[in-house]
Amino acid sequence: MAKAEEPRPLSGHPNRKVRTIAGSQIVFDGEGFLRNPEDWSEEMARLLAAESGLKEWGEIHWQVIRFMRAYYFQHGRAPMNRDLKAGVKMTLMDLEALFPGGIRGGARRVAGLPNPKTCAG
Amino acid sequence: MREPIIYLDNAATTFPKPRAVLEQMLEIYSRMGVSPGRGSYDLAVEAEGLVQETRRKVAALFRAPDADHVIFAQNATDALNLALQGIVRPGDHVLSTRLEHNSVLRPLYHLRQRGWIEYDLVPFDGEGFVDPDAIALGIKSNTRLVVVCHASNVLGTVQTIPEIGRICAERGVPLIIDAAQSAGVIPIDMEGWEVAGVAFTGHKSLLGPTGIGGLALDPKLEIASTRFGGTGVDSKSLVHTQTFPHRLEAGTVNLLGIIGLSAGIDFLLAEGIEAVHTHEMRLLDRLYEGLSQIDRVQVFGQLGDPSRHVGLLTLNIKEISPEDAGMILDADFNIAARTGLHCAPLVHERFGTYPHGAVRFSLGPFNTLGEIDRTLEAMAMIAR
Repeated sequence: MAKAEEPRPLSGHPNRKVRTIAGSQIVFDGEGFLRNPEDWSEEMARLLAAESGLKEWGEIHWQVIRFMRAYYFQHGRAPMNRDLKAGVKMTLMDLEALFPGGIRGGARRVAGLPNPKTCAG
Repeated sequence: MREPIIYLDNAATTFPKPRAVLEQMLEIYSRMGVSPGRGSYDLAVEAEGLVQETRRKVAALFRAPDADHVIFAQNATDALNLALQGIVRPGDHVLSTRLEHNSVLRPLYHLRQRGWIEYDLVPFDGEGFVDPDAIALGIKSNTRLVVVCHASNVLGTVQTIPEIGRICAERGVPLIIDAAQSAGVIPIDMEGWEVAGVAFTGHKSLLGPTGIGGLALDPKLEIASTRFGGTGVDSKSLVHTQTFPHRLEAGTVNLLGIIGLSAGIDFLLAEGIEAVHTHEMRLLDRLYEGLSQIDRVQVFGQLGDPSRHVGLLTLNIKEISPEDAGMILDADFNIAARTGLHCAPLVHERFGTYPHGAVRFSLGPFNTLGEIDRTLEAMAMIAR
């Protein structure tokens, strides 16, 4: 498991936090989503999942994360709902239960995808 | 083949549109899709005639005093911007409510940031109603305008505009209502209610396309132009035309949208506004009752008198974010619902659902009881 410091405020950016993970400075938004998906690593995914309360990390979690990241980098956006369901080969109800925090706050965040900004804000 | 979608986002825009609306848009625009009122050839005159006829239909629908004071805009937000920016002057006070959509909150905030106005927002009760007496108490000596949403896009509650209109009229302050969610399902009586302006959109319960809306005004209301340009009238002058409706319209109007709006109103009147509302409230009642039986579902607000409600409700499922619930409804059950803050953040603050919001189901004339039952089955599975 990667070593990580607690998040601390990022100077000049009130809605961002920075933490050092495995020796690298990584910037997160206020909800714990990576600012830059390129900063993601498998070690970081395990760390974020463990911090969110995931007890057992298995191959099924990797399959979800790999699909979400591959889709994101191929299409430039997170998978649409039906693409996500087909890609992870399970219902979104099951995906919701697979990660603490559910789909958005769990799977998507652990996969290092950006925080969705559609009118939740 | 995929099951047809259960579309429960009619408060965002009604879908599908009546076939007759789409057919008329295609047929009429194919035949006379020219610039209305800008030429002397017959087609341009005919197109202008259709635009004027649609103004008359809108005026009749809202019982507005004068069809020439029906102004076309892009949507309710655009119409509210026209009203707010055209009416207020530096030093004015505006009174509105905490139920408002950002279509009111943001222009008000912008005007305050520019140093032009001050404003106050009247709170609403736990069921989503504004006390008219609070409006009376909130009016100041420099209050130029009161703006109230007729029906909340988050809670569905319909405000007592006749009473608020009387209060405003007694104090000589014009009342503008945001009818985005009410026009087409709740009868509006501008003259009877002493309302100075109705901001509406064409693409919701008026069953027209997106991109068309407007503002029906009392001719006594003082309002200045806030956009300037070609009107097809007085072209030799550099001063923007001051007669109505051109005072508030600049550039070629959205003829295709106006054709659709006109056809939508025709369809609606043939069906009957009350019949549409009764249908939607019957579905909403079933939905509300069914959701109330599901332990982990919390519905915000209450259904009381159906005449004081439009066909929408908002809810959350315990321990599932609204955004995730919307994704699950879509992908697993083919149900389209709106999640988030619904551009009305102060309502969500009141119900403790800020910043992630809630799930909104909003009904339209083409929804069925069968769809409501399938939605309830889906919700029971998600929340089990």
